Amino acid sequence: MRVNPNLTPDLLAALTQTRQVTQDALLQLANGRRVNQPSDDPAASAILVQNHDQIVFTSRYLQSLGSIQSQFQTADSALSSVIVSLQRAITLGVEGANGPLSDANRAAIATELQGIQDQIVSLGNTTFQGTPLFAGTKTSSPPFVKDTASPSGVRYDGNNVVNSLQIGDGYQVAANKPGTQLFVTAGHDVFQAISGLITAMQTNSGFDTALSAVRDSFDYISSQRVFYGNVLNQAQAQTTNLGNTKVQLSQQENTLASADIEAAASRLVNSQAATNATLAAIGKISQLNLFDFLK
Amino acid sequence: MSGLYGSLSVALSALLVSQQALETSANNVANANTPGYSRQRTVLTPGDPVVLGGLSIGTGVLIQKLESLRDPILELRLNQETQNQGQLDATLGALQQVQVGFTGTDSGIGDSITKFFDSLQQLSIDPTNLSLRQAVLTAAGNLATNFNTASHSLQAQSTNLDLNVVQTVAQINSLTTQIAALNKQIANLENVHENASTFVDQRQEAIRQLSSLIDVSVIQSDSGITLTTSNGTALVAQDRSFQLTTQVTAGGIHKVLAGTVDITALVTSGKLGGLLDVRDKRIPTFQTNLDQLAAGLATALNTANRAGFDLNGAVGIDLFVPPPVGGVGAAASLSVAIADPALVAASSDGTPGSNGNLAVLSAVRDQAVAGGKKPLDFYSAVLFQVGSDTANALADSNASQLILRQLQDQRASVSGVSLDEEASNIIRYQSAYQAAARVVTTVSTMLDLAVNLGKD
Repeated sequence: MRVNPNLTPDLLAALTQTRQVTQDALLQLANGRRVNQPSDDPAASAILVQNHDQIVFTSRYLQSLGSIQSQFQTADSALSSVIVSLQRAITLGVEGANGPLSDANRAAIATELQGIQDQIVSLGNTTFQGTPLFAGTKTSSPPFVKDTASPSGVRYDGNNVVNSLQIGDGYQVAANKPGTQLFVTAGHDVFQAISGLITAMQTNSGFDTALSAVRDSFDYISSQRVFYGNVLNQAQAQTTNLGNTKVQLSQQENTLASADIEAAASRLVNSQAATNATLAAIGKISQLNLFDFLK
Repeated sequence: MSGLYGSLSVALSALLVSQQALETSANNVANANTPGYSRQRTVLTPGDPVVLGGLSIGTGVLIQKLESLRDPILELRLNQETQNQGQLDATLGALQQVQVGFTGTDSGIGDSITKFFDSLQQLSIDPTNLSLRQAVLTAAGNLATNFNTASHSLQAQSTNLDLNVVQTVAQINSLTTQIAALNKQIANLENVHENASTFVDQRQEAIRQLSSLIDVSVIQSDSGITLTTSNGTALVAQDRSFQLTTQVTAGGIHKVLAGTVDITALVTSGKLGGLLDVRDKRIPTFQTNLDQLAAGLATALNTANRAGFDLNGAVGIDLFVPPPVGGVGAAASLSVAIADPALVAASSDGTPGSNGNLAVLSAVRDQAVAGGKKPLDFYSAVLFQVGSDTANALADSNASQLILRQLQDQRASVSGVSLDEEASNIIRYQSAYQAAARVVTTVSTMLDLAVNLGKD
C-alpha cells in the first residue's frame, strides 16, 4: 500500500501540539493557576466567581465583627463606670437616710451627687472613633445635655433607633443600644433618680423613695449590660465560624484553580522530550531519499 | 513492417516513450511541493501488432495517456472537512478574543459586583464616614466602568468580525472568478481531447480554498463544474461566476447578498459561516446578557437608594443614571449619577447615623435582578456560557484538525509525489532508454553487416 510520501506536515502538526502542551505547562508552573481563562474550565470559572465573592464577604464580616467588638467593649466599660458611680450614689444615699447629718454635710453630699450626675452624663456621651455610642442613630451631637428645663436636669437629644450590622449571610446583630434603653428609660430614668436623691438631701426628706429609685436604676443598667456580653459572646462564636469558613473557601479555591505542580512539571518534561523527538525525526526524514543514492 | 527496419522503429518508439516517461517523472519531482498537485503517471500501451505470414508481430510501445492520480470521493470529503475547519477556526478565534473580557476573579464585572456590595457592608459600620461613602461611589464607578469595558470590547470584536466578513466575501469572489476561468480553460482543452490535468489540479485547489471560506456543493457535469452553496445559491456555473456582495445595514454591520437575495442567515459553514455565527448570534447574546444584568442591577440599586435618606436627611436619588428603557445598550452606557458621597442614602429614617437603608441596598445582592437570578449568579452563568462555548469550539476545532490531517494524509498517499518512487522510475526509464539505444546500435551494426554483405 502506498503511504503518504511527505510526512513533514504531520510532524509539524505534532510539533505545534507538543509546543502547546509545553506552553500550557509553563504557564501553570509560572503562575500556579490551572484556570487562567474561562475556557480552561468553564464550571470552575463560574464557581470561582462565587467563591471569590464569599471570601471577600467572609473577610468583611470578620472586620465588622472586629469593629463591633471594640465598640461594644468601649460601651461596656462605660456602663461599668456608670454602675460604680451609681454604687457610690447609693452609699451616699444610705448615709444621708441613716444619718443624723448636719445641713452642711448633706449639702456636701448633694454636691458630690451632682458630680456623679455630671459624670454619668459624660459617660452617656462616650464616643467610639468620634461617634456617640448611646445616641441611637442621631450621632451628629452628644446625646445627653444638661438642661435645667428638664425635670431630671438632663435632656436626651438622641433617638431610639437601633442599627443592625450583618456579621454573616442572613445573620444580623444590633449594632448599638440607644440611651432610651439605658439611661432615660421611662420608669428607670437614671438622671431622674439621682436628681431625686439630690432633692432628698437638700430637703432632708423622702430618702426611701429616692434611694429605691436609684437602686432601681442600678439594677436596670446592670441588667441591660448583659446585652453587650451576649453580643460579644455571639461575636466571638461567629468569628470562629467565619475563620473556619474562610479556610474552607480558600481550600476550595485552591482545589478549583490551583495547578497540580507535580503534574504540570511532568507534562513539561514529557512535552519537551516529545518536542526533541519530533525535531530529531524531522531532521532525519529530510535527509533520506533514493536520489541520494543515484550516481 | 518486419525485419531490421521494423526493429529499428520499435526501438525508436521505446526511446521516445522512455523520454516522455522520464519527463513525467521530472515534472512530478518539480511539483513535489506544489499544493494541490496530483502526481501524474505515463500510461503505456503496446503498439498494435501487424500480422505477417500468420505471425502477430509487435510494433513497439505507445503512450496511451498521462494520468493524474486522484480520488474524487476523498477530494469531496476533504472539501467538506475544510469547510468545517474554516468555520470552527473562525468561531474559535473570535470566541477566544471575546472571553478575554470575561477573565479573572480578581478583576472584571464579577469582582466589581463583589467589591461594590462589600463597600456597602463597610459603610454600614460607620454610616457617617465620608471616606467610606466615597469608597461606595468609587466601587459603583468601577462597576460601571467594568460593564462599559466589557460591552465596548464585545462591540469592537463585532466590528472586527464585520470587517473580516467583507474581506472574506472579497476572497470568495476572487476564488469563484478563478474557478470560472479554470472551468473555461479545462473545457477548451477537453473539447479537443487535450490533457487538462494541471488546470484540474488548480481548480481542485481553488475549490478547497473556497470550501474553507463558505459551504460549497460541487455538481460535476459533462460540460464542467457547477458550484453552489448548500442552500442553492449559485457561485459558479461552468465558465461564469456569480459575485457575492456586501451591504451595510441600519445596525452598521454588513449583510451578504447574492444578487438581491440576502443570504446572511443562510451561510452556515466555512469561515464566513463561523464569522457570521459569532457576529450575529453569539456576541449579541452576550451583549444582551450584559445589558440585562447592567439594567437590572442599576434599576434595583436606584430603587433601593431612593428608598432611603442621604447624609443631609433628604430623600435618596438615583445612584446610577437610569438605564435605557428595554435595557439595550445599558452595559455600554452605565454610569454613576451622583458625585457627592453625602448623597449615598444610607439612612432609613433621615438621621445621619442610621444604616438601615444600607441593608436595603445590600439586599440587592440576593435579589433576582436579571433573568430571575441574583447579580453574581447571573454573571457566573454568562461566564460559564462564554467559557464553555470557547472550550467546545476548541475541542471541535482540534477534532476537525485531526480528521483533516488524516484526510490530507490519505489524499497524499494517493496523489502525493514520492521522491523515492520517482527516483526508481527514473532508473527504470533510464535503463529502458539504454536498452532501446543498445537495440538501435545492434540493429545499426546488423544493417552495416547487411549493406556490406559480399564485400571483402
